[in-house]
Amino acid sequence: MRTLLRLLGFLRPYRWRVAATLAAALGLMACSITLPYLTRRVIDDVLEGGDRSLLVPLVLAVAGVGAVRFLLGMARRVTSGSVSLGVEFDLRDRMFRHLQRLSFAYFDRTSVGQLMSRATSDLQTVRFFLGYGLVFLVMHAFTLVIVTGILLTIHAPLALLALLMGPALVALAARFSRRSHPVLVDVQQKVGDVTQLAEESTAGIRVIKAFGREPEQSARFGATARRAFDRSMDANRLQSFYQPLMGFLPVLGLAVVLAVGGTLTVDGELTLGEFVQFYLYLSMLVWPFRSLGQLIGGAQRATASGRRIFEVLDERPDVAEAPDARPLAPGGGAVRLEGVRFGYEEGRPVLDGLDLAVPAGRTAAVIGATGSGKSTLTALVPRYYDPWEGRVLLDGVDVRDLRLDELRRAVGVVSQEPFLFSATIRENIAYGAPGATDAEVRAAARAARAEAFVDALPQGFDTVVGERGFTLSGGQRQRIAIARAIITDPRVLVLDEATASVDASTEREIQEALRAAMAGRTTFVIAHRASTIALADEVVVLEHGRVAARGTHAELYAANDLYSEIHDAGVARDDLLLTEAGQ
Amino acid sequence: MIGRPPGMGPASTVIGTPVDRDEAGPVRLPRRKLRMLLPYFRPYAGRAVLAVAMMLVATAAGLAAPALAQVGIDDGIRAGDRTMLYLAVGLLVGAGLLGWLAGSAQSYLSSWVGERVLLDLRTRVFQHVQLLSLGYHERTPTGWTVSRLTSDIEALDQLVTEGVSSLVVNGLTFLGVIAILFGVYDWQLALMAFAILPLLVASTAVFRALSTRAYRRTRERVADVLAALQESIAGIRVVQGFGRQDPSAEEFRRVNAEYRAANMQTIWLSGVYFPGVELLSAAGTALILWFGGSRVLDGDLTVGVMVAFLGYLATFFDPIQALSQLYNTFQAAMAALEKILGVLGTEPEIGDRPGAVPLPPVRGRLELSGVSFGYTRERVLHGIDLSVAAGETVAVVGPTGAGKSTLAKLVARFYDPDEGRVLLDGHDLRGVTVASLRAQLGIVPQEGHLFSGTIADNLRFGAPDATDEDLRRACAAVGALEVVESLPDGFDTEIQERGARLSAGQRQLLSFARALVADPRLLILDEATSSVDLRTERRIEEALQTLLAGRTAIVIAHRLSTVRRADRIVVVDGGRIVEQGTHAELIAAGGRYAALYGDWEAPAAVA
Repeated sequence: MRTLLRLLGFLRPYRWRVAATLAAALGLMACSITLPYLTRRVIDDVLEGGDRSLLVPLVLAVAGVGAVRFLLGMARRVTSGSVSLGVEFDLRDRMFRHLQRLSFAYFDRTSVGQLMSRATSDLQTVRFFLGYGLVFLVMHAFTLVIVTGILLTIHAPLALLALLMGPALVALAARFSRRSHPVLVDVQQKVGDVTQLAEESTAGIRVIKAFGREPEQSARFGATARRAFDRSMDANRLQSFYQPLMGFLPVLGLAVVLAVGGTLTVDGELTLGEFVQFYLYLSMLVWPFRSLGQLIGGAQRATASGRRIFEVLDERPDVAEAPDARPLAPGGGAVRLEGVRFGYEEGRPVLDGLDLAVPAGRTAAVIGATGSGKSTLTALVPRYYDPWEGRVLLDGVDVRDLRLDELRRAVGVVSQEPFLFSATIRENIAYGAPGATDAEVRAAARAARAEAFVDALPQGFDTVVGERGFTLSGGQRQRIAIARAIITDPRVLVLDEATASVDASTEREIQEALRAAMAGRTTFVIAHRASTIALADEVVVLEHGRVAARGTHAELYAANDLYSEIHDAGVARDDLLLTEAGQ
Repeated sequence: MIGRPPGMGPASTVIGTPVDRDEAGPVRLPRRKLRMLLPYFRPYAGRAVLAVAMMLVATAAGLAAPALAQVGIDDGIRAGDRTMLYLAVGLLVGAGLLGWLAGSAQSYLSSWVGERVLLDLRTRVFQHVQLLSLGYHERTPTGWTVSRLTSDIEALDQLVTEGVSSLVVNGLTFLGVIAILFGVYDWQLALMAFAILPLLVASTAVFRALSTRAYRRTRERVADVLAALQESIAGIRVVQGFGRQDPSAEEFRRVNAEYRAANMQTIWLSGVYFPGVELLSAAGTALILWFGGSRVLDGDLTVGVMVAFLGYLATFFDPIQALSQLYNTFQAAMAALEKILGVLGTEPEIGDRPGAVPLPPVRGRLELSGVSFGYTRERVLHGIDLSVAAGETVAVVGPTGAGKSTLAKLVARFYDPDEGRVLLDGHDLRGVTVASLRAQLGIVPQEGHLFSGTIADNLRFGAPDATDEDLRRACAAVGALEVVESLPDGFDTEIQERGARLSAGQRQLLSFARALVADPRLLILDEATSSVDLRTERRIEEALQTLLAGRTAIVIAHRLSTVRRADRIVVVDGGRIVEQGTHAELIAAGGRYAALYGDWEAPAAVA
């Protein structure tokens, strides 16, 4: 109920339009009620009463009411449609803005698919209920009350008898809606399974063919498609039972009226006109009764969907800007971590009392086994997460006291598999500096050693890349990401396994780009490869969430067993990667 | 060849996503295409006939109701004949009951037959796609093929399950109403009632044409909204990393507003059309009241007939709307059917030749003699001669585009050579059945593709009869046992979307284990280029040794350690073998390999 009230809050900006919709709906209902009345007058006064002069005025009245109904109907549809779309727009906009502010930890634990389904199907459910469902609910309730009232005045006992079908119809429709909804959801699920299997069988066709497993895979697909068939037959069975039954009940009601009302007319208790009018009014109730049941189901679903949407909207970002946040003062980019404890799950710290200071302009290579906290350490500098204990300082200021957007712009990150947007290369490079000129974009690309290959693309810097665009190689994507990181001229640069997914010759090309990017900035390099580690002024070895050793390559190689082991293995690995001489 | 998207080169050169919009252009020759569907209906002909019979009954019962009401009013109430009244009411209830039962049966049977036919068709398309050669799959983007199996089938689904019964029920209702009004009642009044028909048909046609366009625009805009949403969630770390939340939200607002504007057009269209239909219906009512009323007064018509007319007037508006809707469904379904038939009409390029024999168990001696091949007219391999002894490991190295993978694909018979022969133990590959060849062949692709299902299902992929012990042994041999045992349910762990829960290195190890379970005589391996963490890397190296031992192997090598351990190194460049020999021999020779090797060692020297 609270969710429902909160959902109603989204109608507030549109309250006048909602009122107009309701007014139009009431007008429509009045018209619908007038028509059978006019028909009755034609039959009783003109046809039975023989008053020919009334025929033309009554017929004109029918046409006039029809015209008014047309105008009101149009107004009703357009206003309620615009309310519904407005609510959808607002909700989606609000959700989007909110998601933009949620912290990394939230996205770590929430899948893209989950969020998408809230922003699409849940939102649609709410939209239809608020935009249309509510109006119909009110309208139908009015229709029921008023028409029932009229029926009672025409002939109370007959009305009571005929209306018996009403509650049955509502109950039936509600039951149908309630029973079929979970089945329909499950049908969707099963259809999703079919799609998934089709996708992975097509993408994995080499493996299937290599093992000669086409028949088995086809059998598996057949079985999956069969499950979807079975489930959708369950849904069909429900529909085949309820829908015709709901069509039959009103016929029964009308038959009762015909029999009982007919007898009353024969006995002279009802005029023929009254009888026909009664009959027509009763038919008017069939639709409201039926959809009332569906609307009850719709309200239940909208509440459930609303709850899921509010779950997202009520999520508070873990990392938020302090109310009295300071602008970032000029500085060289010195980074200091003091007694930092942090982990992704409670009770399992990844960093456990880490102290580390990297002076401005220096390059530190961070190495250590998988899970030793290398990436975590660098994620704390731009405040992707806040430490449990201890603090992180940029140029002597606790990062929690800084303005968040300035801090983030001061720290450039290049990751292993950089994400590029479906936009032009120019837009991707200028992402952090939207005002950048073409010359600046070009300069950044040149520094990242990307200029030459970009110019060679069909549309040069205007080539659209990303998921829905031109496919770049790993090394090319990496260089675009480097250009994107340096165009904002960050004080601190984080290269998080930036070279891990490229082959050795590409790595050598990127290496030059990296060297250019590091000049004049404080840089953290996380890498497996000795050649990448060699770019650093000093090496920091992490173990169990703390700094186990640090020093220059020569110092560590002599003094630290862990480092020399990692390093030797790294060198061994380096020459394992075959150069593609042709590139 | 119809099934191939136009102008589609090798998948890697395709710019952007394939164009796969629902182009609802004029559909040609629908009858011939529909006839292709008939064989799928044949097994269920009995049920289909029953469904149609039920449709007829249900429609007739529905049409009878107003007529019976008329009889009740005129012959019962007005004539004061109670018996007649009760008889009419009884018949009315009977017709309702009949309509209910027949409607139930019709609805169930017709959806059963429709869905069943599509199940068969879908399975058939899948089987066919699976049999199509690798060449087809390399030319055709995955999404395109998947659409044939999903959205196209769903487009047909609408036609087959709802369309057919809608056509019968609405078409019959429409014709029935006309017949009753003209034949049974009063043709003059009927003409009057139908005066509004041309207007109704014309406005419906205009509405359909406009709304089809408006709905398509709305669908495109909503796709933009979803894409923007999806991308910003997937790239949220970049958005926040650059502090671009506000511009990104502004951009989304713009896309969102465009969608709202597009959708508002559809609302205007239906906002005018549907009340317009009601207006026409009111006009029809007025006409009937006026003309019919005059005739009643003149004594030419009974009141009951006029009331029945009013009743029938309402029943023929729905069929016209439903039938016009059906036209759209029909067009979409025909477009989908054309694409599906295109796929089914594509012949596999590689198949068993007439007279192909099963390949007997081989020892693994491989020979390529004078092999030339090209995907298009341009040759990729020129006159390759290579012989590999049983049990020998040959590393193939060379620059990108040299033809290494193509060589491997010919050995696996994913393609047949244009010239020359590929022989396994002296058997020409073209003369043996594909299934018997692949049964003795193992292929490990670069990226270890895993299927949804459990780890055990995946390991058994090449050898369905392998015991649990076999799986365990294979995993232990390649060092994957530790990986498997660290998973929550061990071998029974469900793998999520393409193995997302496993790292690249772990997937690699599992695909080695999968190949080892199948225990092929001839192994073709494409080494992965991306680097993984140190421990996994070492494990992969050791696993590789286990896997290669004792079988003939062609390895497209990216690691120096693999190359060094190979019995022989073959250097390919420009589609020709330019050098071959052992590591030591080739270094001593000082040729292409020696140059490559120098290049290789360079990065290590930096440290």
